[in-house]
Amino acid sequence: MTFASIVDWDALLETVAVSVAAGLGIVVVFSIAIYGAARFAEGRRVGAPMETALAAVLTVVALIACVGAVAAGIVVMVTR
Amino acid sequence: MGDDIVLVIVVATALAFDFTNGFHDTANVVATSISTRAMSPRLAVAYAAILNFVGAFISLEVAATVAEDVVEQGAITPTVVFAGLIGAVSWNLITWYYGLPSSSSHALIGGVIGSTIAAVGTGAVLAEGVVGEVLVPAVVAPIVAFFIGAAAILACYRIVGRQRPGAVVRGFRLGQIASGGLLALAHGTNDAQKTMGVITLALIANGTLAEGAGVPFWVVVSAATAIAFGTYTGGWRIIRTMGMRIHKMDAAQGFSAQGAGAAVILSSSYFGFPLSTTQVISGGVIGAGAGKRLSAVRWGIAGNIVVAWLLTLPAAAAIGALAYGVTRAFGTGAVGPVVVTVAAVALVAVAFARRVRQGAPVPAG
Repeated sequence: MTFASIVDWDALLETVAVSVAAGLGIVVVFSIAIYGAARFAEGRRVGAPMETALAAVLTVVALIACVGAVAAGIVVMVTR
Repeated sequence: MGDDIVLVIVVATALAFDFTNGFHDTANVVATSISTRAMSPRLAVAYAAILNFVGAFISLEVAATVAEDVVEQGAITPTVVFAGLIGAVSWNLITWYYGLPSSSSHALIGGVIGSTIAAVGTGAVLAEGVVGEVLVPAVVAPIVAFFIGAAAILACYRIVGRQRPGAVVRGFRLGQIASGGLLALAHGTNDAQKTMGVITLALIANGTLAEGAGVPFWVVVSAATAIAFGTYTGGWRIIRTMGMRIHKMDAAQGFSAQGAGAAVILSSSYFGFPLSTTQVISGGVIGAGAGKRLSAVRWGIAGNIVVAWLLTLPAAAAIGALAYGVTRAFGTGAVGPVVVTVAAVALVAVAFARRVRQGAPVPAG
């Protein structure tokens, strides 16, 4: 029995890949939501309706993506 | 009858361990939210306790690993499991006393391995499972969390760096309510399952369950309740270490660290790796600090944490082996476990009283 055969490398690599994708992905997408919210506030402050609307859409889409990713992850775990 | 008394003591000790696990690890879960003022301590701890409870119901893969892949089910007795638990609880309390965020999970697995070796030798330890499913993931997971935390904070700053700080901080604090909740859920999923695995192991060792049997529902509910109660009770000393002493975090760093930790723990739970949630969260916290500025991390404290990690498995194994020896000195009946339990409770009471006198590891509030 070798060290390489003891470890389930496929499962381990998959764990690493999913962790990186989920951890980094959610933080990046949530940061985009915050960027959108900050631009939205700035757009309203200076009276730029186009920028405000675009920022609102960006924020909402990014937040939906975050919530969807978390919900999908939990559903996958529960239904295994 | 004697065996049943031992089994009851084992289950009670396992639930006590689960309580200390929650108590010990509260800080890991809530420290970042508290230190960035995303939540008040009392609210953060209550929130984490509820999500710990819920998380315990999400998956049973880790419980199966602990019950089946660490030691030979047929070779051990409830007394062996009991001694292993004493090793784990003792090491948890020692590290709590000194404010070190060591791993409850490795303490548990180390304790059970130590008592098994003392009872029946190394042959009953499943080296393949211990190395492949515990040790290698134990090394990989915190490193992955470190790099995710570091990359995530760099990405955060790049995306929001030029925006007004007020809106950004408010946004990340709100995000931390979600990421902190996810981390608590992940913690319940991975850590409560270890206790479920150990109780299942004891039930099999006692002949109450057949070898290879699944985790009974009452075990899931009781483990979930014990860890949630322990989490609610909290551990203020380690909250300070995790939240303030490694490095002072801003809300974006807290969010990045929690996101990294939750992602690694949840994906590991899915594959049944019984990780140290403490190590993973510490990896995320240190990564989120180092990603901003290497000198922001107090590497001396980070080094103490690493030393505690390295010591945990062998130290808990040694205490587990010693506890087995002491228990067996009173014979094979219930007397040994009763005497060791009374002694352990007395030591816990003394340690707690001393700690409170010296500087209040009080429930957050």
